[in-house]
Formats: sequence, structure tokens, C-alpha cells
Amino acid sequence: MSDTPMLQVEGLNVLYGNYQVLWDVALEVKHGEVAAVLGPNGSGKSTVLKAIMGLVPIQSGKVIFEGDDVTHLPTHEMVSRGISLVLERRRLFTNMTVRENILLGAYHKSVASRAASQLEWVESLFPILAERRDQIAGKMSGGEQQMIAIARSLMSHPRLLLMDEPYLGLSPKIVGEVVKIIRKVNSEGIAVLFNEQNVKLSFGVSHHGYLLEGGRMVLSGTGDEMIKSDVVRRVYLGI
Amino acid sequence: MTFYLLIEQIINGLIIGSTYALIGSGIALIYGTMRVLNLAHGEFYMLGGYFVFYFAVTLGIPSYLAIPIAVFLAFVLGVVIQRMTIHYLLGREGWMFSSIAVTLGLSIFLQNAALLMFGEQFQSIPYYVSGVVEIGQVRIPAQRILIFVVAMTTIAVMWYILKRTRLGWAIRATSQDRDAAAVVGIPAERIFMITFGLAAALGAIAAAMLAPIYAINPWSGLPLLLKGFVVVILGGLGSFPGAIAAGLLLGVIEAIGVQLTSSEWRDLISFGLMIAVIWWRPWGLFGSKPA
Repeated sequence: MSDTPMLQVEGLNVLYGNYQVLWDVALEVKHGEVAAVLGPNGSGKSTVLKAIMGLVPIQSGKVIFEGDDVTHLPTHEMVSRGISLVLERRRLFTNMTVRENILLGAYHKSVASRAASQLEWVESLFPILAERRDQIAGKMSGGEQQMIAIARSLMSHPRLLLMDEPYLGLSPKIVGEVVKIIRKVNSEGIAVLFNEQNVKLSFGVSHHGYLLEGGRMVLSGTGDEMIKSDVVRRVYLGI
Repeated sequence: MTFYLLIEQIINGLIIGSTYALIGSGIALIYGTMRVLNLAHGEFYMLGGYFVFYFAVTLGIPSYLAIPIAVFLAFVLGVVIQRMTIHYLLGREGWMFSSIAVTLGLSIFLQNAALLMFGEQFQSIPYYVSGVVEIGQVRIPAQRILIFVVAMTTIAVMWYILKRTRLGWAIRATSQDRDAAAVVGIPAERIFMITFGLAAALGAIAAAMLAPIYAINPWSGLPLLLKGFVVVILGGLGSFPGAIAAGLLLGVIEAIGVQLTSSEWRDLISFGLMIAVIWWRPWGLFGSKPA
């Protein structure tokens, strides 16, 4: 595996109308690692992931994935490049069955032919989803829905999985399960970049962490360094 | 009203209702996926009628070939028009309003284009089939049976596409959540174009079946557009199955209502029903109350 990072984001500026949300944001994700972006509500951490994925227009800056400039690729093409995003609040196709939701994850023609083997792999990671395959996705519990959303994202066989607030709206017990899922996904060799507003849930799970405030990257370091950093402790832990 | 007259009116209602369902389901498909109320939908119906007239009557191609050609042409026209107009508005600031302005403009443009190309005289197409079918004491012209069979077959095919094909899954997924569809690799913009084309094709099929009964002229789309609106409001805005059920129901209510009053009451009955539904169940007769 080469030393160049898998994902490089440089000088990212994003505006919503006249309002600037991200200011010169830079970050990196290395092959096979878990990285987390910590930031309070409204810091722009969701926008970072959406901008990488092409869901919001990028004013200036670069997104480089595996050496290719993918800055202005449309979202559905990002999927074929090997990046997948689990949207905030899961965003399932709630009227469709569990199986239909998961299969839609392999919609893109670059992966459609491998859908059957992908499904087998994904269902081996989450056996419960095979048991519940004919249930309507919207009627499942919050934890199960998050599992479906992750399973759906894994169907395209990503090498990098982006997760927008994977713990949002889940009970502490379910959050523990999602942490396990993130580790499991990572152990399959898939790099993960997620965002979160809880210090321990973000940096406790990740190899590398970033702190985003007011749309600016103010700090970065290893997961341990971040938890021990004065800024993080003062602002987030009140110590 | 005698029993047989009632049965006859219900059958007539279902026949006309099946064409309302075709029109309404096209409007519902477009609204469901793009959240655009297509005020030019009647013009796809009108142009579909002219296309059938051109191929079947002017060129004399047999109707079983002329109709598929006309429907395909309507599909292509729908795709091209979506790409040239709606495509540029979706997602922009104020697109909810601008899309209404654009489809209204399209409607006027297409009416006048038809006026220039085809003239203002009314055109009609001969019956595709002749004869009368007798079921007990009820007599129905074979042409009307054909309307019902074609309309219901079209709806069944459309249903199959939506439920069982890759394209249908993509349409349903895009209509539920555009961003979620994009992140699984569905090209939403292409799905929007195809959906618009499919809706135009549904309108053209309705036109092909109704043209032998209602004459074609550049303004013949408007009454059908208004019927289509009643259908999607009864069925719940954007719901495909809702539009099918509401179309058939509206046809039957109109037929029985007209029998009890007179034919001048037809539109009063359907729009009265629409206003009542907006009042009591704004989410439609068949939809569920939004949370």
C-alpha cells in the first residue's frame, strides 16, 4: 500500500447562497484507516461529506481520490469510483422492503453485475437483514435502519465509506452496536470517514481525527492526541 | 334509474375512468418524482392525438402500427422537452414557482405550434373496431371495450415497470429521496427525463384511445388536464396507484351523476368532488395522512 493518502481534500470552500459554510478545509484519509471529523452543530461537518460526494456544489478546492481529481464528478459517478456515503438520519427508501433497499445500493452499472455476490457478503456481515428481508424498511427499529443504510452503502463495494452522523437519534445501546459495525467494516479493509459531535464516540473509534469549528479545520491529530488535546477537552469535555 | 341502466353507467364510467387514470397517472408520476405540477400535460395528450391522426389517417398506416409510433414519438418529445426546460430549473432557487411558469408557457407554446402545424379544424379518427358487444341486456360498442382493455393493459405494464424493473426501482427511489438515490448511484437527472417521457407516452395512449370519440383540436388537452388534476387530488398528489383508483372512481361517479342529473353537470360533479376532497382529506382519498 502506497504512502499517498487515499482521499485528499484541499482548500475546500463551499457556499450556500451568499453564506460561506466551509473555509479552506483540508483533510486526508489513509488507506484502511478510520478518520473522524468532530464539530458542533452548524460547524459544517455534514457539508464536508456532502461536498466530497458531490451533493453540494464546491466553490473552490480539490477532492482527490486514489490520485484522481474527482472534485466536480456527479454523485452517482462517485459511487463507481469506490466511495459510498451513508446519509444523516439514514434516509432509507421507507416504502420499500429491506431487500429492495439493499439491492438499490448496487444500482450503478459498474457494480450491478456483482450484486448477487455483494448481497451475500453484506448479508453475512448483517445476518439479521437476511432474516428480515421482506419487511418494509420504514417499520424497522432505528438501529436496524442504520444497519440497512450501511448495508446499502456497502453494496457498491466501496473502498472508502463516508458516514454522516452515524449515531444520530440512536439509543446508547444501539450506538454501541454501530461502533462495532464501523470496526467490522474497517476490518474488511474499507477506510471510513465519519463525523460526530461527541468526543469519545468520534476519536475513541478513529485512527485520525479533525476538529471543525465555524467551517474551519482548527485541529488534527491521531485519535488519542485529539482526546487529550487541550482545545478538545476545554471546549467539549468542559475540563 | 333501473338496475340495468345503473350497470351500464358503471361500465361506461369505468371505461372513461380508465382514460382519466392514464392522464392522472402521468401527472402523478411527474409530480411524484420531480415535484413539478405539469401544466403542459394536456398538450402531450393533444399532440398524441395529432400524431395518431397523422400516421393513421394522413399517411394511412394501419392503426396497430400508427399508435405505437405515435406513442414512441410522444415519449421522445417528452424527454427532449424535459431536458430543454425543466432540467435547468430543478433545484434552483424558486424552482417550485418557475416550473409552474415554464409548464404553463410550454402549454401555450405547444397549443400554438399545433395550431400552425395542424390548423384549427377538428379532426377525428375512425373507430378502430366496429360492432357492439352484448352482455345480458347491456350493450357496449366494441370500440369502448377496446379503450378499457388498452388503458388497463397500459396501466398493468406501467405497474410492472415500476415494481419489477431496474428503471422502476430507480424511479421509485428517486421519488422518495433524491439525495439517497444519488448516493446509491442512480443518475437522478436521467431518471427525471425518462419519467417525463413515460408520462407523455401515457397521455398519448389516452389520446389514441379517445380520438375516435372526442375530436382532436389544438385546445383539446385542457379539459383532460383539468380532469387529470381532479384525479391526482382525489388519489393523493404524486401517488401512482392512487391516480389509477381515483381515475376509475371519478369515471363512475361522473357517469352515475350525469344519469341522475344531466350532462351539463358532469364537470360540476367532478370539480365539486375535488373541492370536497381538498376540504376534508387534502392528502387524497387513498393516501394516508402525512405525519
